[in-house]
Amino acid sequence: MSEQVLNNIRTRRVVREMTDEAVAREDVESILEAARWAPTGGNLRPIRYVVVEDPQTRRLIRLVAPGMFQKAPVLILICINWAIIEQHRMTLSDRTSLVDVGCAAQTMMLAAHALGLASGPVTSFSKEAIKVILNLPGSYSPEMFICIGHKAEGARRGMRAWKKITWRDLTHWERFEDK
Amino acid sequence: MSENWVLTETEAVELLALLISSARIQLDEPAHYAPLRLLTATERLSALMLERASDKSKAFLQDNIERIPEMHMAMSDVETYTDGLDHLCREVAACLLRHSSSEGASA
Ligand SMILES: Cc1cc2nc3c(=O)[nH]c(=O)nc-3n(C[C@H](O)[C@H](O)[C@H](O)COP(=O)(O)O)c2cc1C
Repeated sequence: MSEQVLNNIRTRRVVREMTDEAVAREDVESILEAARWAPTGGNLRPIRYVVVEDPQTRRLIRLVAPGMFQKAPVLILICINWAIIEQHRMTLSDRTSLVDVGCAAQTMMLAAHALGLASGPVTSFSKEAIKVILNLPGSYSPEMFICIGHKAEGARRGMRAWKKITWRDLTHWERFEDK
Repeated sequence: MSENWVLTETEAVELLALLISSARIQLDEPAHYAPLRLLTATERLSALMLERASDKSKAFLQDNIERIPEMHMAMSDVETYTDGLDHLCREVAACLLRHSSSEGASA
């Protein structure tokens, strides 16, 4: 079991070419349910999800999201609801909620992968345009889309690495030496 | 007017949306993403034009649609990326010549 979990983490890749095949509603719900179990700073849960399946709305979203290469049948927009942060008297510059976004995003992408679905995160979009297109409540800020769908046959591999790295390259053990 | 119209007003507005959004997001993104956004707009414009374009541009547009996504993924390989962009510059110049010579012929 633990090997399966680790393997799911290792083999998930961002997919930027998807088919038109619809995603079953129960799979979308499983992904959202998985996100509910993601960790959240102060257990505040300021994150809200907006699911978009309507083809015309998805089309408009792609037009203001230059970083959305895939035409995915399901878009899950991760928003921060700042009203919740204010209710708890946290400062609006608090970065915890952005970390929450990351935790939710990876949880959803791993859940999708476990269900045999393809996924890809997108932050390269105009937030102001998305607020207008989705008529978001004033306290919501759109932070990241998770595109969900089925991988297209012959889909290209992701962006090539700038440099080959291993986890060791990214890790320092213990205290840094004095200079 | 002997020239082809290749975009509807709605399609042109769609392209404007992409260009304006690209300009905005570039403020928050690394400088090397700028060519990526311009190329994405080029690819989408090519796709919009393809249906109504004349034979003078069709092959060039089709090539953009196929080649540009491939180039994006090679962004970290500067040499390949530069070669790809130089190729597109040569192809667009040839396409320009085809259009300008037929314009001259019809004038
Ligand atoms: C915060 C964040 C924002 C991202 N934004 C985009 C995006 O706008 N468009 C895109 O195609 N990929 C985006 N990605 C995906 C990364 O490019 C991708 O994770 C990276 O190239 C490594 O690929 P892999 O996840 O398949 O290993 C984003 C990833 C993260 C973590």
